[in-house]
Amino acid sequence: MKLPAWLLIVLPFVYLLLWPDLGLAQSHREASERTAHYLTTLLNVGRLIVERHQPLINDPQKGDKGFTPDFFEREAVEEFFRQTSIDLKRPPAQLPALAKELLPILLESSTHVVADAQFVINQRGIGYKNFIPATFGSQAARKFSSRSQVKMKQTTLNPRNVKNQPDTYEERALKQLAAQPSSTGPVTEWLDDGKTLRTVTPIYYSQDCLVCHGDPTGTLDISGYLREGAKEGDLAGAISIQIPLNNP
Amino acid sequence: MALYHRHSALNTMIVERSYSVAKSGRRKSLYGRGNTGAGAAVLFLVILGLLLPGCGLIFDAVELAYPLTRDELSTICAKRQIRVGISVEPFRPFVFSAIYTNEGVRVTGLDVELIREVADALTEHCGGQQPIVPTLHLVRFRDLFLELNEEHLDLFVSSFSGNVPGGTPTGLWLSIPYFHGAGVGAMTHDPEIVEKVRAQFRKQTGRTDTLAAIQEGLSGLTVAVQNRRTPHLYAEANLRNIRLMVCDSLPAAVETKDPHIDVILTQYPILQYVTKRVWPDWQLLERPDGSPLILSRESFSIVTGEQKRRLQWFLNNLLYRLEESGRLAQMRKRWLEEEYAPTRRATNEGLPFEVSKVPDHYDQGQCRMAGGR
Repeated sequence: MKLPAWLLIVLPFVYLLLWPDLGLAQSHREASERTAHYLTTLLNVGRLIVERHQPLINDPQKGDKGFTPDFFEREAVEEFFRQTSIDLKRPPAQLPALAKELLPILLESSTHVVADAQFVINQRGIGYKNFIPATFGSQAARKFSSRSQVKMKQTTLNPRNVKNQPDTYEERALKQLAAQPSSTGPVTEWLDDGKTLRTVTPIYYSQDCLVCHGDPTGTLDISGYLREGAKEGDLAGAISIQIPLNNP
Repeated sequence: MALYHRHSALNTMIVERSYSVAKSGRRKSLYGRGNTGAGAAVLFLVILGLLLPGCGLIFDAVELAYPLTRDELSTICAKRQIRVGISVEPFRPFVFSAIYTNEGVRVTGLDVELIREVADALTEHCGGQQPIVPTLHLVRFRDLFLELNEEHLDLFVSSFSGNVPGGTPTGLWLSIPYFHGAGVGAMTHDPEIVEKVRAQFRKQTGRTDTLAAIQEGLSGLTVAVQNRRTPHLYAEANLRNIRLMVCDSLPAAVETKDPHIDVILTQYPILQYVTKRVWPDWQLLERPDGSPLILSRESFSIVTGEQKRRLQWFLNNLLYRLEESGRLAQMRKRWLEEEYAPTRRATNEGLPFEVSKVPDHYDQGQCRMAGGR
């Protein structure tokens, strides 16, 4: 079939007109995906720092622990740089604009969580204070979500905290992750006709987590919840992020 | 009275103003612009000014019959918050140490559950449209009285007992009890002391005299109490031959090694809880038959400022209703008898507190020898 001559003339123009938009949309998507990755990394870095200093935080003999917001921020910036080669204090030019905007908000939200917990952390004579990676992460994600258009939360299939209950999408992603080996990367998808990015990045149990989540199954842990009988490397939960394409 | 003074000051100002008006009127007449009408008005104002100081008394009298200013309950309704003081020192299971939860920092305990009940009842009282939020101020026990007197708090709940001589500072009011059956108890980590006290009871023939037995049983020992709590008052009044240590908190008493503390006195239900769940190497002093040794009888009340009559009636009526319905008994059972993890309860039902209102780096404090012993 022979195309009309006028169509042969018009089509290249249409392509030329649409191409920048298609390209722009593609770069926005890529920027959002990279931003989601960096946000997840930064929340995980905060959790790691809390975990690393858990013996200090739980030391009943010490009053002022020195686990201050400034100290936390310095450690977070250093650890994030170690993991990503990105200096949060001097973000590189190639970092997506969205990440440049959102990473400082997450860092500040995380630092605020540590500031709010100072009274609890610095109590002398009290050992376990429940300031652990999970409670830190829940609060930091919530504070961050309230200050941006991005939704961030920790979730798992059987959460201890009802506010961490997965939605339908997260539940499907968690089931998918649970069935895969522990080295699996995040589940990343564009939903709503490509208008919303959703990423679900798995968190796996480490040895430290098993004090509360391991064996003996069904017995109460220090915070009063039933131990799940988890093993090292089992899926603990995930960090879920939703970024609308038109963000910010 | 304060109101009267305020009005008196206002009246003084009016008098001064009238006087200046009078002066200016005189100036005008000196300039030859005599005006008898203005002169009469000035005279009237001067007389009125002289009479006004008595108006403060009239205002106070009217205020007494028909309150013109807002009462404390209306203020709570208008602000939609009630400011509640709670002791920063843990009195488990009445108040547990602050804990971090998924929702942020929280405190929990029987006293905290009671505060929730008060807030719920206030919400209902204020029309139920918007909740009355309890704003918790975690304050050192010794500062609760000051904070209440300075009206930074509407009330405080901290397993406080007033039916002990010298227990209630002036200017404070105590509600009907929400917890009966408290009293001064004692714990030790030395089985010989347990036996020594029991032996004193066994020696008594016929009539039991707890005070005499405890005076003899604790004689020569180092006894720790918490500053300004009722066991402190009890020990000062009744225990003569002891070395009395005054501590900032119960954990401080437990932790003190030098000098060695033989016995700690504190409220019996608190001792019951901590010897079972927190410091199992300490044991309660008991009577020879194993029954509880309680040295006095106390009941815990909510505390408010003396003048807050409407709030006081509101609290008394609420506590009566909670007792009548069995709710208070249920609360007591939940916290004193059931097995539970305070962290989980803090997460599910704890209350947040004003982080800005807590002491920096709360420290459980220290113990020091009471003067003159």
